[in-house]
Amino acid sequence: MDIDPAPGPEPAQPQPRSTALPREAPRPQPKRFKKTSIRSRGRSARWISRESAAATGRADNLQFRRWRPAPTTGTDSTDSPIPDKFARYNVKPEVPVYDNETYEKHLIHQEWTKEETDHLVEIYRECNGKWPVITDHYSFADGPNRSMEDLKSRFYSVSAAILQLNTPITSMTAPEYTLYETLSNFNPKQEASRKQLAEGHLYRKQNEVDEESVLLSELQRIMLSQATIDTEREELRRRLDYPHANTNGYQYTTSQALTQLWQQLLAADRMKKNQRLRPTGYDGFPTATPISARPRDSNAGLPDSATMPGRRGTRDSLPSAASQNALPVDLSKADLQRFGVVQNQDKLPGGVTFASDKLSKPRIAKSTIQTDKIATILQHAGVPELIPLPTPAVVEQFDSIMSKVHALLDMRKLKDKEEQELKVREAEAGQ
Amino acid sequence: MAPTSSKRVKNTKLTRHFLIGNEAHLLPHPGYPDPPPENHTKGWKVYVRPLPNGPDITTWLKKVQFKLHHTYNDASRTIEAPGPFEVQETGYGEFGVEIRLYFAPESGEKAVYREHYLVLAPYGSEEQKARQERENLIVAERLETVEFNEPTVDFFKTLTSEDQFNWLKVKKGRGKGKKPEFVFEGDVEPSAQLPEKAAADTGGLGSGGAWSVLYERQVVAQLREAEKVLDASLDEERRGMEERRRRMEELGMAVAAK
Repeated sequence: MDIDPAPGPEPAQPQPRSTALPREAPRPQPKRFKKTSIRSRGRSARWISRESAAATGRADNLQFRRWRPAPTTGTDSTDSPIPDKFARYNVKPEVPVYDNETYEKHLIHQEWTKEETDHLVEIYRECNGKWPVITDHYSFADGPNRSMEDLKSRFYSVSAAILQLNTPITSMTAPEYTLYETLSNFNPKQEASRKQLAEGHLYRKQNEVDEESVLLSELQRIMLSQATIDTEREELRRRLDYPHANTNGYQYTTSQALTQLWQQLLAADRMKKNQRLRPTGYDGFPTATPISARPRDSNAGLPDSATMPGRRGTRDSLPSAASQNALPVDLSKADLQRFGVVQNQDKLPGGVTFASDKLSKPRIAKSTIQTDKIATILQHAGVPELIPLPTPAVVEQFDSIMSKVHALLDMRKLKDKEEQELKVREAEAGQ
Repeated sequence: MAPTSSKRVKNTKLTRHFLIGNEAHLLPHPGYPDPPPENHTKGWKVYVRPLPNGPDITTWLKKVQFKLHHTYNDASRTIEAPGPFEVQETGYGEFGVEIRLYFAPESGEKAVYREHYLVLAPYGSEEQKARQERENLIVAERLETVEFNEPTVDFFKTLTSEDQFNWLKVKKGRGKGKKPEFVFEGDVEPSAQLPEKAAADTGGLGSGGAWSVLYERQVVAQLREAEKVLDASLDEERRGMEERRRRMEELGMAVAAK
């Protein structure tokens, strides 16, 4: 709606006639409604004032007058009292009703006197069953301070008892029974703690929330990988439990014992279906016919160096190795030893190697920390840093020592991990 | 016939023990220049030697090159067969001597380097130190074993011939015409293996006489002791692990019960 342009003199504000007077603010122009926009359609509404109906369920007998629009149909007589629209909200709570006798019989409680119980019921009724309000209004001069949970528990127990009295359990309907159950299972302590927890949750600070979320994610990660960690650990444990030899290898040092061993092995081999050992002329047993087809002086597989001790010097009584491997020079066993010829080695590295390396190389690990750890363990065990005599026996002994050192290192690593895990679990269990 | 690929003996290796070490004396000492050069307090000799009862080292070792500290004139000293492979010098400081071993041509192997740290000061237990000072002789020596893996046929033949022990044997026999017989005189049977026990008369460490099977047994015994210690540690660890496993189970139950 436009403001009609006012006639002339007004907009052009007069120059201050005198500085003393405050300049007039431009007066709001009255809005002029266009007559076209509002048109009263029909007559204006009629309102009538009426008395309310008397005592429509109100306890205080309030009477009032109200305006209400006149009914257009005119069927209702103009004088009918106003129905109370809010009557239906006038709900009263159900309260357990008991008399003195019932009380004496079923409702006696150590901490609650009859008066107090009555007072509680009364307040409940007045406050419409809203517990915060009830707690507020409750003030019994003689009694101790009651928390909301206390009041609730007493009230519910009373209600439950009354309910049970009125309708014995067997004839309760399902909803009634559920109600009864709820009433009797009220646990004040639990409720109190639950509410406290909720309050704590409500009021905690942001950094606590963050910390909690981080810890939860950590826990989740651990739980997820728990299975894999467990299997890894089991594997490591199995690996570390290496089998210990029951027998001593050193009982086979004499030549007699060696020949005996050789014959035992040969006999055992013969029993098997597919023989591994081929006989030579030296074993003293008659060879079975299927075997005789093979050339006699071919390579009689000597027992693995693994079953024999590393002392190669005492091979004298064994079947001769002289005719094997096409040695360019035929040598007797003694000569082999004198000249330091070692045979039947597989996996020989090419070229020239040194035995003292076998005593020094294993001590060095990929990282310096590992090397240091190995060095401390060896020192603690009493192994000198420089072993000046690298004979095969010494080398073998050193090898077994090194394998134990590695086993020890692995176990220590495992121990660290396990201790960590134990700490976590202890913390968990302690909570 | 390719000259480089001679047949190799499969699945065989030849081992030879030899000694690398050094002797040191406080000057003045016989055998060393007197008066000693400026600031030089010790005279030393670094060497590569065979076992006293072993085969001739020159069968497989043709040349040895000792690389001394760069402050020496002619830091690189080369000794060829047969001469004793030794370098004698005076000095005051310890350093690592790089030793380059050149093998016999039949072996077809390249030269290898070993290092030896020259020890000039007394070392070891109190008793050892006292003895070293008394005798004015410090020896730092170790046994080294060279292993020729899958040697060539020629090399094999050289290294398994009886002639290697000729240097230990004494010529006996008639004069011209007859081939001299070589007879071995001495306590220890010549062999490439370690002698059974330390040779009594050939003296102490310096001449390598102390290397013997007896010593080997001592070393092995010592290592076995060490192994026992390790076993004890392992047992301890294992017990700890059992304990922890039990504890973890307990805690697991406690947590699950909550």
